[in-house]
Amino acid sequence: MPMKKFINKPENVVKELLEGYTLAYPDKVRLAGNNLVVRAIPKVMGKVGIVTLGGSGHEPGLSGFVGEGMLDVSVPGEIFAAPGAPRCLEAIRLADRGAGVLFVVLNHAGDVLSANMTMELAKKQGLKVKMILTHEDISSGDRDHPEDRRGLVGFFPVYKVSGAAAEAGASLDEVLAIADRMERNMRTLAVAVKTATHPSTGEAIFTLGDDEMEIGMGQHGEAGTGRMKLKTADKTAEIMLAQLLEDLEVRQGEELLVILNGAGATTLMELFIVFRRVSQILAQKKIKMARSLVGEYITTQEQAGFQMHIARMDPDLLSLWDAPCDTPYFVVR
Amino acid sequence: MVTTLCIKELLWMMGGAIEKVKCEHKVLSELDSACGDGDHGTTMLRATNQLEKVMTAHQSDNLQGLLSDMGWTVLGIDGGATGPLLGSFFTGMSESVAGKQTLDTEALTAMFEAGLNALKKQTKAQVGDKTLMDALVPAVAALRAGAEANKEILQILREAAAAAQEGAYSTKNLKARFGRAKYLGDRTLGHQDPGATSISLMFQGFYDGLSTKWEL
Repeated sequence: MPMKKFINKPENVVKELLEGYTLAYPDKVRLAGNNLVVRAIPKVMGKVGIVTLGGSGHEPGLSGFVGEGMLDVSVPGEIFAAPGAPRCLEAIRLADRGAGVLFVVLNHAGDVLSANMTMELAKKQGLKVKMILTHEDISSGDRDHPEDRRGLVGFFPVYKVSGAAAEAGASLDEVLAIADRMERNMRTLAVAVKTATHPSTGEAIFTLGDDEMEIGMGQHGEAGTGRMKLKTADKTAEIMLAQLLEDLEVRQGEELLVILNGAGATTLMELFIVFRRVSQILAQKKIKMARSLVGEYITTQEQAGFQMHIARMDPDLLSLWDAPCDTPYFVVR
Repeated sequence: MVTTLCIKELLWMMGGAIEKVKCEHKVLSELDSACGDGDHGTTMLRATNQLEKVMTAHQSDNLQGLLSDMGWTVLGIDGGATGPLLGSFFTGMSESVAGKQTLDTEALTAMFEAGLNALKKQTKAQVGDKTLMDALVPAVAALRAGAEANKEILQILREAAAAAQEGAYSTKNLKARFGRAKYLGDRTLGHQDPGATSISLMFQGFYDGLSTKWEL
C-alpha cells in the first residue's frame, strides 16, 4: 500500500523539509553549514548562544523556535533520530558569540549519546558550553529515577526562558541556572489514541486497539503504563492532571503555566475541550493558571493524542516567559 | 594460513561487513519495528553507503587513518544512538592501531577490545540488557580466547561471528533495559534486538569478506 503522505523520496524528506521551512521564513531563519537551522540575523556578540538537537519529523519542533528570544541554532537529525556529534559541534561554534553556549538536550537515548560526545569534543577544543537535559515526562520513570524520564514539550518553556535570559545579557552560568530552575519545576504527561506512519519506512510506529488509548505514550510510540479503554475529554483531563499535580506537588495559590500540545492529528477542537476541564479543575483547587498555550509545538506525524504540560512559575520565570521573542512558530511582542 | 593482516585484508573484512548489512537491512528494520521505530535498517544502510565512500577514497596503507575516517563518518550519520555507539567503536579501534601497518592475531584482538572499551565509555549497557553489547561482548571474548590459544585469524573470526550470532539470538529472551525500547518492558520479550543483530551481521561479514577473498 502506498504511503499517504505528500513526500517525494523518503530519503530526501529531511533535506526537503528544511529547505521548504527556511524558504518559508527567510526573514527569520536560514540554513547554514551542514543543514543547521540558524537565525537569519545572528545574535549580537557578547551574549550567550542557545543550541538544541533532535530528530526530524516532529515539526514545528525543534527548529521552528530558532529566532530572537529563543534558539540560535538547531541541529535537526534524521526522522526520529538524533544528529551526530560533528554537526552539533559545528552548531555550538556557530552559536558562540563570545559568551558561551547553552546546549539544550531532550532526554532520549540517541540524543544524549550524541550530546555527551559533543560535550567531550567541545571540551577538548576549549569551547565554553554547558548542557541542560530536559526530562519531565512523569510516565517514563518514577520520582526516584529522574534519569529515565524523557524530554517532551518541556523543551519549549526551557528554550523560552533561557533564550530570554540570554537576550537580556545574562552570563552562561546565569542562563544555565534559569534553564535548570524551569526544568526542575515542570512536568509533562502524554496520551495517544492513534498511531503515526514513519515517513521513511511507511510503517505504523506502534499499534493500539480501536477502542484504546495509552497514557504515557512517548514521542515515538514508546510504551506508557496506562493502556486503557478510550475515555471522554473530561475524564482524560482529570486522570492526567491529577498525576501531574501530584508529581509536581502543586499547592493551593501557586501559579502554573499550562501547555496542551497536539501530537499531530488531534484537533484544536478536542484540545480546547480538554483545556476547558483542566482550567475548571485548577480553579476548583485554587491553583492559578498564570499562562497557557494550546497548539502544536512538537508533533509526531499524524499521531493522535496530546501532551499535557504544567510548570510552576515564579516572578522571574514569568517575566522571562513574557519577554519578546520572534521565531517562525512562536512570537511574543 | 592467514597470520597477519595489512590494509588490503582489513578493507576486505570491512567490505564483507558492509555487504552483509546491506543485504539484510530490511530484516534489521523489521526487527526494529517490533520494539523501536522501524528505521534501524535504513540507518545502517545510510552508514554503510557513507563507509563505502570512505573506503573507496582511502589511498594510503595507514590503518589508523582508515578506521578513524570510518569512525567519524559513522558519528556523522545522524542515526540516533547508532552513530555515537558504532562511531566510537571504530574510533576506539583506530587508536589501538596507531603506527601499525600490519596486524597479527594479538593486534587484531586488541583492536576489537579497544573498540569495545571506547563504546563502554558511551553507554552503561551490559550483556543482558538487550543491546548491541549482547553480541559484541561475546564476539570480542571469542577473539581473545582464540588469540590466547594461538588459533589462526580466519578461525578466530569465524568463532567470533558464531559468538556474536548466538549473542544476538539470546536477546530474544531478554527485556530491553536501554534505549527507546526499554519503555516497552515485557513487550520486548520474543523479539531479537536489531542493534545486536547488526553487530552479528558485521562479524559474519568480517569473516566472509576475509575468507572468500583469501581463498580465491
